[in-house]
Amino acid sequence: MKAINLRKLLSVSAVLAVASLAATAVPAHAGEVGVNSSEIKLGMTLPMTGTASLGYNKIPGAAKAYFDYLNANGGVNGRKITLIVKDDRYVPTEAVAKTNELILKNRVMALLAPLGTANVKAVASSVNPGRRGVPVLFVNTGFSGFADVKKYPTTYAILPSYIMEAKIMGQYIAENFAGKKIGLLYQDDDFGSDALAGFKAAGVNFAVKVAYASGSQGAAAAAGWITKFKAAEADVVILFGVSSATSAMLGTAAVLKYAPQWMLGSVGGDATTIKLTGVPAGVLYNAIGFSPVPATTDLNDEYIKLFSDIYAEAVPGSTFDLNVLLGMNTAFMTAQALKAAGDNPTRKSLMAVLNTKGATLANSALTPLGYSGTSHVGLTGYWVGKYSPTGDLLPIGGTYTTYTTDSGTGAVVKSNYKRPAMPAKGLPK
Amino acid sequence: MMFQLINTFLIGITAGSIYALMAMAIVLVWRSTRVINFAQAGMALLSTYFGYEAMVHMNSFWIALPVAMLGGALFAAIIELVFMRLLVKRSSSGHIASVAPIIATLGLLGVIRAVTAIIWGGQDVRIIGPVSNFGYTLGSEVLVFSPLKLLILLTVVVLVLLLTILFQKTNIGLALRASAFSPEIARLSGVKVDLVRTLGWALAGSAGAVAGMFQTVNGNGTFSPDSIEFSLLLVSGFIAAVIGGLESLVGAAIGGLLLGLVISFVLMYVSSSLFFIAPFIVLLIVLFIRPQGIIGVKADRRA
Amino acid sequence: MHKLKNSNNMGLFIFFGFILFLISNRVDELRVYQGASIAVFVIAIASIILLTGYSGQVSLGHGALMAIGAYSATLARNELHLPIVLSFFIAVLAAAIGGALLGAAAARLSGPYLAGTTLALAVGLPSLANQFSILGGEQGLTFDVGFPPMSLGESFTQYKWYFWISGLAALISMWLLSNILRSRYGRNWRAGRSNEVAAQLSGIHTGRSKILAFTISAGIAGLAGALLSMTIGTVSPSAFPLALSFSLLTGAVLSGVTTLSGVMIGAVTLVAIPEIADVVTNHIGSSENITTNLPGFMVSTLLIIAVLFVPNGPVEAHRVRSMKKLAKKKVNALTKPSMEGNT
Repeated sequence: MKAINLRKLLSVSAVLAVASLAATAVPAHAGEVGVNSSEIKLGMTLPMTGTASLGYNKIPGAAKAYFDYLNANGGVNGRKITLIVKDDRYVPTEAVAKTNELILKNRVMALLAPLGTANVKAVASSVNPGRRGVPVLFVNTGFSGFADVKKYPTTYAILPSYIMEAKIMGQYIAENFAGKKIGLLYQDDDFGSDALAGFKAAGVNFAVKVAYASGSQGAAAAAGWITKFKAAEADVVILFGVSSATSAMLGTAAVLKYAPQWMLGSVGGDATTIKLTGVPAGVLYNAIGFSPVPATTDLNDEYIKLFSDIYAEAVPGSTFDLNVLLGMNTAFMTAQALKAAGDNPTRKSLMAVLNTKGATLANSALTPLGYSGTSHVGLTGYWVGKYSPTGDLLPIGGTYTTYTTDSGTGAVVKSNYKRPAMPAKGLPK
Repeated sequence: MMFQLINTFLIGITAGSIYALMAMAIVLVWRSTRVINFAQAGMALLSTYFGYEAMVHMNSFWIALPVAMLGGALFAAIIELVFMRLLVKRSSSGHIASVAPIIATLGLLGVIRAVTAIIWGGQDVRIIGPVSNFGYTLGSEVLVFSPLKLLILLTVVVLVLLLTILFQKTNIGLALRASAFSPEIARLSGVKVDLVRTLGWALAGSAGAVAGMFQTVNGNGTFSPDSIEFSLLLVSGFIAAVIGGLESLVGAAIGGLLLGLVISFVLMYVSSSLFFIAPFIVLLIVLFIRPQGIIGVKADRRA
Repeated sequence: MHKLKNSNNMGLFIFFGFILFLISNRVDELRVYQGASIAVFVIAIASIILLTGYSGQVSLGHGALMAIGAYSATLARNELHLPIVLSFFIAVLAAAIGGALLGAAAARLSGPYLAGTTLALAVGLPSLANQFSILGGEQGLTFDVGFPPMSLGESFTQYKWYFWISGLAALISMWLLSNILRSRYGRNWRAGRSNEVAAQLSGIHTGRSKILAFTISAGIAGLAGALLSMTIGTVSPSAFPLALSFSLLTGAVLSGVTTLSGVMIGAVTLVAIPEIADVVTNHIGSSENITTNLPGFMVSTLLIIAVLFVPNGPVEAHRVRSMKKLAKKKVNALTKPSMEGNT
């Protein structure tokens, strides 16, 4: 009885399998994948839901806002740019599944700004865009390894690495807080261990180091961190964690009236995201922060002015913050690279542009880009600022002082980088 | 050193008291209907949104809290009336009778989470506490203990007392216990079993609402379906209830406080990386010594 | 007689494998990749069905057991340079040992206590990867089974290779499982599930029987974990969230926990839901809020519907219905109402 049943059901299952695996017709096309006479398709995976989505889920809206503006102004050589976004919930399995859909079903030309080291690594080894020749533009992680062209031939970093940031922080501490007791809050994984490596290279000695497990950063945990920092009498406390950790820490510090000199890493240092979680702006006042792009409130900056205008029109009521700026900046750089890739852009010509002219692409950042044929390093430094009473990161003394360095043993130097002027109307030329 | 010890204790006790509230909600449902309600945290989330809406319109925590409690109770009652009764009817016998409620409430949790995210998602939702959350000062030091945390602790104590009295000393409590253990006998002796079950759920919905509201104001005052605070509520509340033994409200309260304290001391004195594994170890130790939990009924652990 | 049944069965699996092989050569790469994911889910869901449906125990922690398998296979491959098949065996073994330990604890507990323990395990275990540098921290380790053999030709894709490996693994484990379930052990589990006291009276050591079920189930989950990390090329803690354990349970319920034969239904549904949600949102053109939350909503709704209306699974429901029909026919033909009770 059982066996007959099983047989019947196996064949039912087989039918089901055939049905579910039914081949989808692949449209014949001339030219590059994802490019036709009227459209260029790009794809993005990132956490849109789940605890890791805080702040980042504004990136697709920001990138789309710029692409819509671009499309309304003629697109790239007459082609409109379409961005297809998929939610990976910050789970590598999902990131791989969604990236496969983007490449194999939606047939995008390139991937844009995927987020998270574990996810990008999983996609690199499973989907293997390197072997397929699919460009992965401007990955949203500070893991220095993605600049390695041998391991990730088609992947381009954008954010300065965590190591660079820690080295620059170390330099700033040596210049301004010599002899003070320094405390560090960091995430108990590679994000944190990269930071530790950078601080070590910069010769920072910590009076106290507090690690937290990713996902544990609630108010109760923060009260514990503060107790540790207090016990060690730290004068300066560096928060090198994600936004939710910064929020938990600053919010709890406010109610415990704990106020050392704060120093915020860029990953968890976006004021809008922090304020959104209920931290009063005043707590941020006078904290030291680092950013590769101009202050998001600096309307004298031509890029900020234009980007914030475009964003305000596209997504009314949403604050123009660091994630939005980075999203739009990425879209803007992509548009320029596509324009420079010729009348009939291909994946190859797009990457050739980045390898040869990538470092000169106009963009809002105040630190140089490092793209070349031998390295896919993105931005290479930060400017140092302080948070205003309203919680906005502004340059100290009103002028941007930028530092650059590398992810290795190179020195930290003050940069005299001159940013390319914005092309007319912010459109690629 | 002494100060660090005191603070660690205070951190543990306040975090634990919110877990305790959540655990009590789970125990209430378990005792009245023999169902482990995984959706309890989801219901707490929804109730907190009710409270938030009241906050927006009335601008008072003391109105928002009863609104959340009432909303939570109503919602829980409706779930019991419509959903759980159907479930009991459809799958009270058969091979998966023992796991069906767990699975069904997991599904319910997913639906509530998705629906709240669709309705309120992307909104900046904030609830401001009724009293100051600024820590008391002890000499020159600020303690991790504030009027708000005192209020939370007192509320938990009062709720434990009230509910225990309700369970042990009143007819409603007797009916609740009877309905869960032997519905047929209870019915024969004139207890309105169905009504009593619904009441159990409503009480739990209310307790969960308090947990949700307090968890929010005890943090930075904001919340969302995706916030870490809520995922902690889901997991810790359930683990605390199991540690406590599922049968007793006092047990749930002790379980919650124990969990809060252990996590707090482990984070402070051992390693912060053990945050997620610590509850598992606590649970294993407790269940190894007493498989029925701290205050559990031995014969019932295989229920 | 018994032997004959088994070989029959094996022929069936070989036939099914042949169909899968034919399909894999006809469909595009995305479907092949999804096929590999389905095979992984088939194995993982089967491990839940064995545990929950046959031995009556609940586990919310199978994601953690999958992680044990995934990490063991990766370490065996990367550190000991074992051949791929052997590293899968290591995965099964390691997860089975973990399962035996958990099962020993589980035999003392049941129902909600077991659910709580396994939930705590699912939350806690993956975070251990950050404690030991050999486990590669949050970004994880690369798990490389190598390129498909050159003899299969230039156009043979990596995903087809993964599909063949995981498809074969699924077929073998399903065949083994269906035989185990029809053996003495399977009968013991079923006896213990329906009435523990009666089973004990008839000489079945129910505690030992439950531990065995947990061990086998964990070993199979470990295999699924190793295959999962093969298809995503890496192993990292974030690949094993609590949501994974929940979705395995969902898949098991959709398949019907009391019978192994519906296992495809759950696996296909889990893989297909996001795509279906995509189609729906493309058609009705909804807001971002709805688009991002629709898949979660659909999975949970399906789960509820399944528990309420087909608690023993669609396959079982169909079987019962057709048996009833059959019985009715017989009744009508023979006009003997006494047959009714036999269904």
